[in-house]
Amino acid sequence: MADENISIEPLARVEGHGGIRVEIKDNKISDVEVRILEGPRLFEELVVGKTPQEDLSIVPRICAICNLSHKYAALRGLEKAVGVSIDDTTHLYRELMHHGEMIESHSLHIYFLALPDFLGYDNAIAMAEEYGDTVVMALQMKKFGNKIMRMMGGRMIHGENPVIGGFSKLPSEDMLREIKEEATELLDFAVATIDLLGTLKIPDHMERDTQFLCCKPPGEDYGYYGDLLITSDGQEHPVESYKSVIRERVVSHSFAKRSMYNDRPFTVGALARVLLIGERLKGKAKEAYDKLVNERWNRNPLFNNHAQAIEQVYSLEGIIEVIDKILSGEKATIAQPKQETGIGTGAVEAPRGTLIHHYEVEDGKISAADFITPTAMFLDDIEAFIRTGGERLLASDKTQDIRLHFEMIARAYDPCISCSAHLVEVVYK
Amino acid sequence: MTSTEKPKIGIYGFTGCAGDQLLIIHTEDEILNLFGAANIQSFVMASSNPTEDELDVAFVEGSVSTKEEIEHLHEIRKRAKILVAMGNCATNGGPQAMYTDDGKYEERLKRVYGEGVKFVTDPVEAKPLDAYVNVDYYLPGCPISQPQTFALISRLIHGAAPEPYPHPVCHECKLNENRCLLLDNKFCIGPITLGGCGSACPNHGVPCVGCWGPNPDGNFSQHLKLLESFGLTRDEILRRIRGFGGSKIIKYLIDGGN
Repeated sequence: MADENISIEPLARVEGHGGIRVEIKDNKISDVEVRILEGPRLFEELVVGKTPQEDLSIVPRICAICNLSHKYAALRGLEKAVGVSIDDTTHLYRELMHHGEMIESHSLHIYFLALPDFLGYDNAIAMAEEYGDTVVMALQMKKFGNKIMRMMGGRMIHGENPVIGGFSKLPSEDMLREIKEEATELLDFAVATIDLLGTLKIPDHMERDTQFLCCKPPGEDYGYYGDLLITSDGQEHPVESYKSVIRERVVSHSFAKRSMYNDRPFTVGALARVLLIGERLKGKAKEAYDKLVNERWNRNPLFNNHAQAIEQVYSLEGIIEVIDKILSGEKATIAQPKQETGIGTGAVEAPRGTLIHHYEVEDGKISAADFITPTAMFLDDIEAFIRTGGERLLASDKTQDIRLHFEMIARAYDPCISCSAHLVEVVYK
Repeated sequence: MTSTEKPKIGIYGFTGCAGDQLLIIHTEDEILNLFGAANIQSFVMASSNPTEDELDVAFVEGSVSTKEEIEHLHEIRKRAKILVAMGNCATNGGPQAMYTDDGKYEERLKRVYGEGVKFVTDPVEAKPLDAYVNVDYYLPGCPISQPQTFALISRLIHGAAPEPYPHPVCHECKLNENRCLLLDNKFCIGPITLGGCGSACPNHGVPCVGCWGPNPDGNFSQHLKLLESFGLTRDEILRRIRGFGGSKIIKYLIDGGN
């Protein structure tokens, strides 16, 4: 291939406005940039001077798809800062809310954003002619996730029902039983999705070793939050030390803030979670894990789609389990703050990876805030995989679908450009 | 009807959370019908290979926050017969516009990004679409509501004019028979906020934060006085009210805040 710049802009089927630019010189990749084209919104500045409750209604607006993950990370950080400890049942309701978001986001990504590439379509609607049943069931799955987000959040997107210390309004027992029944009904389709993904031929051109990071859930079970970060080198780090674990840096020619662990790029998201804590899975999710996971997963980001499908099974089973516990547990109440000044770091697993909200609160008002989003963490890793894949494709002269291959790598991470846009692309000159 | 005769629609996202485009994607019962009834030429969040030419209706989400977005907006306006501002960011500027025109934008930008940064596309202070182009219809909300959105889309693709909806959140809150949160001295700004959300938050016992933007018929001065009677300072009240009103709420606060 002659010297050229491949510019893929806009990058389709991702959340937000971004692009990919790849520079080729002497049949080698000389530069790769995943471009973030949205303007800065400066959320860390917007929340300064606000009360914790005001913050809770502002920060979910960073991202619509994972708005409840932002709310949850903020709650975990702010509640530490102002000395709130929630009861066990409230905790279960938050898990239920989080499961809902995982199903909403993962089903959107698996069936509507990623699968069309593997099956050769521009979008999932076009896919419906041949894969009608899959698309109809996928819509049902997504609708189910949204139903839980609406029930716990107070609205499908950007609801205000989760408050400091608990939830303003709790669902009725009938509603919980209805949700449990629907989760049970959807399990067959979630398992069928595992089989469908198992039949896909996954390209290997980009394979390279990388690192993984996720929250370590407390206890013995799989889960989507924790106060420890674990990494694929076997280390554990308290979440409060996030700044020394996830090192942000500036590169001279492209993006400003990028994240590295031990000076190398890393992966977060479903793939990282399944590889780091997948041994904790039980039931049908464990069966799915045993069926799909192999050693290529450590080197190939396209398996993130498969990992999301495993988590889809896990979350449906998790919903059933959590609802059983809620129905037999104590009534939840709203816990009150014990102090007006303090510091707190909250971490949760958003669908696309570890999300950190750090707050400093003084006399009831936020004096400083820092947010690190999953997309900001894995942008370096996407570029590294595009570089490796591109060089192999160029060397073996298989460049016919090179643009699609680059897009598929980026899309596999389920990037959220809105989330990362506050770490806007900059050039130092 | 062949696909060439269907109205041509483009759906675009500028700076925001993509929640309005997501809401359309999440309308599971209607999305297949929408793709059947209209020729969706460009909807990058949902589909690859967009066609960018003349449009019957363009829906644009997000605030204008970079120089590149200003140019892109002008370009969309030129080829769209009808332009709809979709969501609070496109209509009012969104939360990122809560301090617009306070003269401290450059300062905030430096605090987040540091000194001496050269951006790939120059950022500009967040503004709604109509700060730059003529907007035909507004679909407010954070995010937009499904009933309002599909009512508007249906009318536009059949060549009819959408109906205005000049009602405050309180209108819907009353229909839902909620106890008024102001009676309990809760900081609710439903009376000065445009409805359409179905009073989603008060239905859950949480006060309205104003995310649909200002209701032009609202009695701002009286509401500020009422909130002051709860023991809050004027600064505290204005800070909270400005969370979602963007740059457009300022004039009501100046006119009505006396």
